[in-house]
Amino acid sequence: MKKTFALTAFLLGAALAGPANNSLVVGTSQEPPNIYDPWNTNNLAITSEINGYMGAGLTYQDDNGDTKADIATRVPTLANGDYKVVKDAKGDVIRNSVTYTIRKDAKWSDGTPIKVADFQFWLKLENDDRVPVPSRDPWDRAKITVNDTDTFTITFEPPYLFADQVSPGLAPSHIMGSAFNTFDTKTKNEKDAKVVNEEWKKFISSFTTARNLPKVVAGPFKPTAWRTGNSLTMTRNPVYWNQPKNPDNYVQTVTYRFIPNTNTLKVNILSGQLDAVSAVGLTFDQGTDLARNERNKYKTYFVSGAVWEHIDINARGQRAKDLDLDDPRMRQALLYAIDRDALTKALFQGKQAVSNSWIGPVSKLYKKDVNDYNVNVAKAKQLFAALGWTPGSDGVLQKGGKKLTLNFSTTAGNSTRERVQQILQAQWKAVGVQVNIQNYPASVIFGPDFLSKGESGKWDMAMYAWSNNPVFEEGNLWKSEGIPTAANGYSGQNNPGWSNAEYDKLYKQARVEFNQADRIKLFDRMQAIWNAEVPSLPLYFRVNVYTKVPGLVNYTFSAITQYPSWNAANIGWASKGAVEEYKQK
Amino acid sequence: MGTYALRRVLQMIPLLLVISLLIFGLTALQPGDPVDQLVFGNSNITPEDIARLKASYGLDQPWITRYFFWLKQAVTGNFGYSQDFGIPALEYVFQNRLPNTLLLTVPALIISTLIAVPLGIFSAVRQYSPLDYILTFFAFVAVSAPVFWVGALALYFFAISLPQLTGGLLSLPPGGLGGDVPPEAGWWAVALDKLKYLLLPLMILMLREIAVTLRFMRANMLETLTQDYVRTARAKGLADRRVLYKHALRNAVTPIVTLLGLSIPGLFGGAVITETVFSWPGMGKAILDALVSKDFNVVMVCLMMLAVLTVVFQLLTDLAYALVDPRIRYS
Repeated sequence: MKKTFALTAFLLGAALAGPANNSLVVGTSQEPPNIYDPWNTNNLAITSEINGYMGAGLTYQDDNGDTKADIATRVPTLANGDYKVVKDAKGDVIRNSVTYTIRKDAKWSDGTPIKVADFQFWLKLENDDRVPVPSRDPWDRAKITVNDTDTFTITFEPPYLFADQVSPGLAPSHIMGSAFNTFDTKTKNEKDAKVVNEEWKKFISSFTTARNLPKVVAGPFKPTAWRTGNSLTMTRNPVYWNQPKNPDNYVQTVTYRFIPNTNTLKVNILSGQLDAVSAVGLTFDQGTDLARNERNKYKTYFVSGAVWEHIDINARGQRAKDLDLDDPRMRQALLYAIDRDALTKALFQGKQAVSNSWIGPVSKLYKKDVNDYNVNVAKAKQLFAALGWTPGSDGVLQKGGKKLTLNFSTTAGNSTRERVQQILQAQWKAVGVQVNIQNYPASVIFGPDFLSKGESGKWDMAMYAWSNNPVFEEGNLWKSEGIPTAANGYSGQNNPGWSNAEYDKLYKQARVEFNQADRIKLFDRMQAIWNAEVPSLPLYFRVNVYTKVPGLVNYTFSAITQYPSWNAANIGWASKGAVEEYKQK
Repeated sequence: MGTYALRRVLQMIPLLLVISLLIFGLTALQPGDPVDQLVFGNSNITPEDIARLKASYGLDQPWITRYFFWLKQAVTGNFGYSQDFGIPALEYVFQNRLPNTLLLTVPALIISTLIAVPLGIFSAVRQYSPLDYILTFFAFVAVSAPVFWVGALALYFFAISLPQLTGGLLSLPPGGLGGDVPPEAGWWAVALDKLKYLLLPLMILMLREIAVTLRFMRANMLETLTQDYVRTARAKGLADRRVLYKHALRNAVTPIVTLLGLSIPGLFGGAVITETVFSWPGMGKAILDALVSKDFNVVMVCLMMLAVLTVVFQLLTDLAYALVDPRIRYS
């Protein structure tokens, strides 16, 4: 019998999962460095996605952006009094606070109740200098006050704009506490940060790696096996409280298969080895290719995302001055000269929406009625002429003996970007702008000596993407103090070096404007200013491509939730009785 | 011989030190570091955060200082933690990656040598025969065809076309390491499952190995067959078989010893393209990923291991030469 089974398995290739045994096999192109690290000391997308199956928060947001309670008994709002905003005599908000009550049935996977101490333990380490958290904002100004056994208040002073939408993390103090005390004792008087870091790795790796899987989790699934380089399996956590009706009707096991080569990932989809693909997997081109070969085996989805593709224009340094890149009219002309609608139709079947602002249409702050910069060659030429650039004998624009020759860089090896470059290069050539393509590896482009060093004239135009969660938009990409300089340790993200006094003023107001309607007004004006000066040439919002087989329900995501694991407890097979709550938009 | 070997072993120490310094220096001088990757895209990061993280990873020190810190730890057997996997770099390399690579490369080398050597001899002895032409043509195609292309074709054929043609009866899995069969099914069922996943990458890796060794063996054999002593043996009236296997073969095989000796470190280095195409988590992919993500400790463990293996097998090859070629003496 066993022999027959093995021989059959050998002949049939990989075993198929899916409805047959109420499991789910997901393919992805990345493997997380670690899982369920409460302090997120790595910030990879795949880590966030996989953690979504195992994690639980006080509150969470669904695909539509509505906040719902998970560990907490209810969502804090101004109306129910759990969210409080304190103003001074001038009417300025000086602090805000959120009160949460932990559900009685909220438990870690070992059955231990989740307590306020778990949130306190998390916050203590989040703000500990020895813990390599990339950014502590906003938790470095947060304080937890215990009200009773299950209720606590978290206060932000100075106030935090999204206090009611972001809940603090939690860590199992009953599991990690003693190990942390050992770390604490060992490193208390250690001056060498590298030695401290090694000790930290020892501590955290004993709870978050393939060899030492998380001992307990709070979310709907718990990890059971992680074979590095191959797969990670999670099984349903029966202790999780927020289960759908009849949890047995929903997926019982989730296996992530790590397939780094995206072409191999595609073969796995075509050969029916995968039930679904992660949000971190396929390229757009592969998506269109897969969409042509569905044959009812799977369906391909293109989800509007929050990843904004754009071309930064370097407005800093002498070279930028000589080329008038620091003049809004030059940037407008460059934008009028290219046909972004045709570009997205030709390369992306029109599925990736052309953008005219850095904020996407999914955000409540999005301003629709800005200048759309539809291709207008005549207008572009007019603007060039107004700046004194006239066509030379070779057709290239020149001014004062200098040719309008721009270096255009992007991440080498990204075939989509390289094609976009070639199309834009041809369109700019048609209006007399000579564009030289100069690409570099991603490690150079995003390294310490390229984008942030604009004043040295290392680049003129750079194409890359920003990923912004539309819920937490602050407008800080474009603040003047975000221009990377030696003074701020080149830490800002305003790589074009754009500076606008009115924008800065509005940005500062918006940061402390707790009234949504008034905030929208401020952002309307900020976007109008930005759109008029176009420090960056907006291209389009990228879509996320994934596939899933028919009958798999509640495996959805949006630009807000970002990963299908946001609704892990409800993912299931219709044939097994799972009820569809959310459809992929 | 013993004195010679000891001298060579002693020479290895400064050589490996220089190699470690070069590897560390070149890796450190690459643009970017792990902190850049944490920082990029986080618009809330402050200069203080960057300074804190750089200090935490030791990146605020000059690379030479970091090198000596690494060396001091390394001589005590501490090679640090993998930045990407949060486990000791040594454990990551020797437990998670090296076994997978050896599972792929060792059988590939053994089987391809066993196939290629006789074919190479046959091809040389029957020079310009139809079979020689066929083998030569195969060798040129196998050497010239890019691995990623042949691999992709094989994936499509065995994982998609073959099941369609046979109504799902025959197929091979499209990459990965296996694990479909639970351990309860028995060791041989698990081994069969592993073999199923191993077949495709093994075949692709062997194609090239066979082609290279075959061409090499054929050329050696042809050269040996034109030597005076072979002509003399033939003139003495010795049987063809005796001339070939007694006189020519041993001399023709000598360079193969060199080829195999120098191939062994390569076995540990993995086959980066094959591993990538078939999602086989081996050393080649590990080295590439570690270099890209600036996982210094893993880079150092991998490359130093290869350096040690290279110098050790270089010595063993030289010593083996004395065994197979009586003209060579190290006294």
